Amino acid sequence: MSSTQSVKPTRSGQSTHTIRELTAAFSIWLAAGLVMAILAWILIDISIRGLSQINLSFLIDDVTDAGRSGGIGPIILSTILILFVTLSVSVPLSIATAIALTEQLNSESLLARYVRRCLDILAGVPSIVFGLFGNAFFTITLGLGYSILSGGLTLSCMVLPILIRTAEQAINSVPLEHRHAAAALGMSRSTTLFRVILPAAAPALAAGIVLSIGRALAETAALIFTSGYVARTPESLFDSGRSLSVHIYDLAMNVPNGGARAYAAACVLVAMLLVINETTALLLKFAGLGSTPHAGGCR
Amino acid sequence: MNADRKTMKLFPHPFLAFILSLLLTGCFRNPSNEVSGNVDGKLSGKITLTGSSTIAPLITEISRRFEEQHPAVRIDVQTGGSGKGIADTRMGIAEIGMASRSLKADEADLITHQIAADGVGLIVHSSNPIKDLTAEQVISIYTNQIQNWKEVGGKEGDITIVHKAEGRATLEVFLNHFEIDNTTVKPDVIVGENEHAIKTVAGTENAIGYVSIGTAEADIAAGVPIRLLPLGGVEASTATVSSGAFPMSRPLNLITTDSPSSLASEFIRYCQSPEVHDLIRSQYFIPVSSEPNVAQ
Repeated sequence: MSSTQSVKPTRSGQSTHTIRELTAAFSIWLAAGLVMAILAWILIDISIRGLSQINLSFLIDDVTDAGRSGGIGPIILSTILILFVTLSVSVPLSIATAIALTEQLNSESLLARYVRRCLDILAGVPSIVFGLFGNAFFTITLGLGYSILSGGLTLSCMVLPILIRTAEQAINSVPLEHRHAAAALGMSRSTTLFRVILPAAAPALAAGIVLSIGRALAETAALIFTSGYVARTPESLFDSGRSLSVHIYDLAMNVPNGGARAYAAACVLVAMLLVINETTALLLKFAGLGSTPHAGGCR
Repeated sequence: MNADRKTMKLFPHPFLAFILSLLLTGCFRNPSNEVSGNVDGKLSGKITLTGSSTIAPLITEISRRFEEQHPAVRIDVQTGGSGKGIADTRMGIAEIGMASRSLKADEADLITHQIAADGVGLIVHSSNPIKDLTAEQVISIYTNQIQNWKEVGGKEGDITIVHKAEGRATLEVFLNHFEIDNTTVKPDVIVGENEHAIKTVAGTENAIGYVSIGTAEADIAAGVPIRLLPLGGVEASTATVSSGAFPMSRPLNLITTDSPSSLASEFIRYCQSPEVHDLIRSQYFIPVSSEPNVAQ
């Protein structure tokens, strides 16, 4: 596309052409600006209402008076534990599935097509349905009770489609030449996979993981019936623990006068997301992998 | 090439084993109902409560104080609505349920223990000049026979009816008091929690809704632009609910099966004791003395 011929419009079509170009450029910039404005509005609104409440003791203290005073220490801890369970189950599972879909199965085979179809349907299932499933299966049938483990496992079911789809694309976007070169050197398929393909796909894999962390952190409906509502510091993964999003929901909807604290907690949640985003980018940079996923290369 | 294929097929197994082991450790553990009871005169064990989202913040505070007095006790409070509390208590998932209404005839297998009371009041936007509504007017508004504030002595404007979702305790208290059949109600907005209803009315000048009086009073004190309407000439306030003068109120109940564990009964006794009255008031509810003095 780099060698586009530039045809200079010199005749009567010039003015209409320029107007069209200008309109197109304007609408594109408007759309982009609007997206940024929405994000900026949300961030500014949350920070104005919430930042003044945040200090160190808010971040580490126990919840008191139903959240209207005290801090959110136990809630941050529960959130991190839920996220930890979610990722430690879903990341290996989804990368393994993505490898199976790209390396083992013919991408047009019946099984691969069924797996993809299932994932697409799973991606469209509303989170409250995952919550009800998690409550029925993990909480009651498996007897895990309201616990961080139930919540984390429910969330990992929920993020699987995103993770697998992004991991699949990441692996597929590794240029075919890499594989050819590895094959020419006589590397076995598994060595090629672990030494060549996965490292090359790492930035895109990380992007998928960050995306699913975002979805998991934002989740309320799937957690209220699985990881539960208890705002005490969890002692093990079998304890119930309230996540930040559930806490925000409870403060905003259930607790009279909880609004201001809900904004403060929302600030913390957004900050956590930004920190995770930035850390991932930094880690990848230090690992020498760059932060832009491979462009093109897709079939 | 064939051998390579085999190694390839083997390697997801460690992942699977890891996940299976995670699941299996869960299977063999029975988290709720561990030891519960009296050991050496000291209470220990764990109980789980589920139910009404109105009561949950209050019980969370009470249980924190109870846990301070009995360090070996753990009380987990979950939410989901009065209906879930009753269902979970029946199924044994929770030792104690929370219900912000009286039990119905088909729920007579369970026992209620009232801990507090809450009044349900009608709210309008603070700019609404309406002073009072009769029961007939409220019924006509909610069944859509009156559609404009002008018809009940207010200013010109279509009435926005804010109604609660099925299963909400305030809904049942409201319907019972006015003897309205829920299928005849024609709401414009259906909401869940009290705070949600208050936010809706505060943002809609011509709206009418009904919420917990304690919550409404707290929000009015915080400057939310809503107003509580008197009912049958009685002012809607925590004081009139407490004295029993206000007609539309509901009990806040703990619910058990007929054989609660000793720890559960001890906790219920504590919830009903005067020691927690300050907590009940701080959550904008009204304490009841040991004999229930509030209309069902």
